[in-house]
Amino acid sequence: MAITLFFALVGMFFLTLQVSKIRESASSLEEKNALLLVTKLANSPEFSCGNSFGLTGTSCVDSDKVMALKNNIDKYKDFWGASSIEIRKIYPSSQKVECNSGNYPDCNLIKITEEEITSEHSNFVSLCRKEFSDGDTYDKCELAKLIVGYDG
Amino acid sequence: MMVEGHQGSPYTNPSFKKMKKNKSGQEEMVGFALIIIMVAIILLAFLGFSLRNPQSENVESYEVESFIQSVLQYTTDCENNIEKLSVQKLISSCYNKEQCLDGRESCDVLKTEISRILNESWKIGEDRPIKGYDFKIGTDKNESIVSFSQGEITNSLQGAGQDLAKGIEVIFKAYY
Repeated sequence: MAITLFFALVGMFFLTLQVSKIRESASSLEEKNALLLVTKLANSPEFSCGNSFGLTGTSCVDSDKVMALKNNIDKYKDFWGASSIEIRKIYPSSQKVECNSGNYPDCNLIKITEEEITSEHSNFVSLCRKEFSDGDTYDKCELAKLIVGYDG
Repeated sequence: MMVEGHQGSPYTNPSFKKMKKNKSGQEEMVGFALIIIMVAIILLAFLGFSLRNPQSENVESYEVESFIQSVLQYTTDCENNIEKLSVQKLISSCYNKEQCLDGRESCDVLKTEISRILNESWKIGEDRPIKGYDFKIGTDKNESIVSFSQGEITNSLQGAGQDLAKGIEVIFKAYY
């Protein structure tokens, strides 16, 4: 009886230890997965810079494309499976101004879709656009965060 | 011939019975102790395995990796004869000890921009998830171009690096 009880206690101890480890790795995997999803979104044709800016690296979002997408977002309803998608400029920092066709590019928040969310995940992206200066165009890239929100 | 009764037999002797009972009890005790020792050894082995995991958890981080990529693509206000330089080109310009068109040293611009970007992107503090960070731009010959360190260094970190031309490398570590 004593031995059975002893083994049961030891078993319970290990079970608790294992369950906590599994929970920890599950939450870490979930976070990794969400981050990967954000990266995947940033590199999708609707967002990515492609070859327009002569950049070879990933995580580059074309803000002109995103603004065009924002204006036609009804065609992309439930396409990415995220409740909300927004791009927030981090640097250079300025007061929060939501972008629309009237104030773009003098704004720092592009809300592509917005619904009720319970959790959100973000990743750094380079927000690039073509800028005009002295009759010439040049590539201007700023630091931003692509934020994806989920409901449930 | 007289047949000896069982009265004289050691098997019927009460003290022998007591001794036998004691011996059996002792055997049980030894058995139990052995089981406890075995379980303790298994427990210690498991503990040893779980403690063998490295103290410093160096996780490959997509967030840190994306941060480095995005910083390298950032367009600074330092111009050369052709264009406004990205951080990646500014690093190269700083390595070659060049100046911007407006006369500023490219290394000074690089330091200022990186410092500002880090301050805006990685807010550190005791009540925040990020406790500190370490940003280094150097060469494979251990020459430092730019180096920034803030906050405290903990055992839990996420880090990434990017190799550039001329043996230049950018390394960023965020401590949680």
